[in-house]
Amino acid sequence: MILVSLLLIVLAILGAPLFAIIATSAMVGFYNNETELMTIALELMSIAQMPILTAIPLFTFAGYLLSESNAPKRLVRLTSAMFGWMPGGLALVCLAACAFFTAFTGASGVTIIALGAILYPALKQDGYGDRFNLGLVTSSGSLGLLFAPSLPLILYGVVAEVSIDDLFRAGILPGLVMLVMLAGYSIWVNRENRKPMSTFSLREVGAALREAVWELPLPIVVLGGIYSGFFAVSEAAAITALYVFIIEVLINREIRFADLPRVIRESMVLVGGILMILGVSLASTYYMIDAEVPQKLFALVAELVSSQTSFLILLLLFLLVLGAILDIFSAIVLVVPLILPIAAGFGVNEVHLGIIFLAAMQLGYLTPPVGLNLFIASYRFEKPIMHVYSATFPFLLILMLSVILITFWPTLSLLFL
Amino acid sequence: MKTLLDRLERAGRFAENTALVVLVATMIGVSVFQIINRQLLGSSFSMSWADELVKLIVLWLAMVGSIAACRDNKHIRIDLVTHILSGAIVSWIKIIVDIFAAAVCAMIGWQAYRLVREEASWGDTVLTDIPLWLVHAIVPIAFALISYQFLVRVVKLLHRLFKPEQAEAAL
Repeated sequence: MILVSLLLIVLAILGAPLFAIIATSAMVGFYNNETELMTIALELMSIAQMPILTAIPLFTFAGYLLSESNAPKRLVRLTSAMFGWMPGGLALVCLAACAFFTAFTGASGVTIIALGAILYPALKQDGYGDRFNLGLVTSSGSLGLLFAPSLPLILYGVVAEVSIDDLFRAGILPGLVMLVMLAGYSIWVNRENRKPMSTFSLREVGAALREAVWELPLPIVVLGGIYSGFFAVSEAAAITALYVFIIEVLINREIRFADLPRVIRESMVLVGGILMILGVSLASTYYMIDAEVPQKLFALVAELVSSQTSFLILLLLFLLVLGAILDIFSAIVLVVPLILPIAAGFGVNEVHLGIIFLAAMQLGYLTPPVGLNLFIASYRFEKPIMHVYSATFPFLLILMLSVILITFWPTLSLLFL
Repeated sequence: MKTLLDRLERAGRFAENTALVVLVATMIGVSVFQIINRQLLGSSFSMSWADELVKLIVLWLAMVGSIAACRDNKHIRIDLVTHILSGAIVSWIKIIVDIFAAAVCAMIGWQAYRLVREEASWGDTVLTDIPLWLVHAIVPIAFALISYQFLVRVVKLLHRLFKPEQAEAAL
């Protein structure tokens, strides 16, 4: 058994698809447990019994459509019209626009590609230092993970069987804390660079608003609809998908009909990847619960730590290592079912746990060796990967501080519940 | 041989795209109509089938999306090796992990096939009169195709390793 596990870990590090690794560990477990091997297929098919899952393909489709249109440009124009007059304004534009965009596109690297390409040259032109720009754009690429309707939040809700509405509400303040801390740092670093990028002009704000007139109702309908309880999450997802299709394809006509199959394919490739991992993880979770792994883990952890605080410290360390190795989606479906009962044993609220989990995993986008944002930025802006590492490091430290704050201050997450 | 693989590749891509477009469009259409029916039409249509249909579409999207992800080489993996190593060793590592993936998918596909055959004997139905096994048949089919995709990639990698000049010419 240990030999098989070691072999699987080696294969995973060598780059075998993670779903195949998880499926194998589940099947080996079933075999040892004398469970019928068909269970793996049965668990996979149970994807069709999870109600909220429909939101994942719908939001992903909407997000990909948005990123293919000129919506990112309009978003940047609008935020610069509103914040550009402040010192360090463009950095704030970058943070705000990226956070908003990531919430809608689900932190799959799309943000850096869609927005970074506009913001990175703009920052340079405005006299910001190259290292700062690179670090800012790279770390902004996963900001907004905690805001509705981000995919990881929905996936956590599905896996942990926690109300998604609660998660959406819980993410607001912790997400803002991350934003404000990064914004404060950006302004402080650029305190010498006092020249505001433009003067505030009502006319420019008006023009930017008019240009984005079709997209403006989107956050109101989606967020307002969900937060007020008017729409269920999957309904809001359907409305969003249809609305984005209408405005970008039929009204703004920025995506041609001929491009639709490609956009749908690209978005569903991501969905297929996520749901496949979810499906095989259902099987491995079935095995682990059958083998009483959570109880054994709990006994192990209870020997190591005795208080909630020490548990949270251990959890954070674990999540930082996990985030450096695994992507956020695999980590959620694999690890959440295991730590959920342990966290409950230490009196950690399951909604708060979700926020801690996602916030800590967000750091994983920026930590070597497999930080996704680092590679995308290195590729997109043609900088050596080591250069991107070091440019991102101060931002990583700030984010780490914010994660510690979010972890040990549960009220931040639980205030609106 | 090459042209046959190419033709299969094009046909497969087209079939995947068509299926994905139809599935996504149906999903959006049914979900939105469900909301309109409830909020504006006072539930004058009986839509009890809609929830079930949309959930089944999710399964199909997951499967067809997975086939497409395999073709585009976009399945989630720890992408470390290609960043720190280079040269023939990378190709050999890819060959090993792809053979492993092909074998695992064949195994899952086989188990899914057994399950589907058993379901056929139970006679369960979904959406009033569609046999459950027919809807679930996508799972073994998908895993067979994914397994095949991994094998094709192994063949291509081997080809490039041993006959680099031909592979270049074919590209």
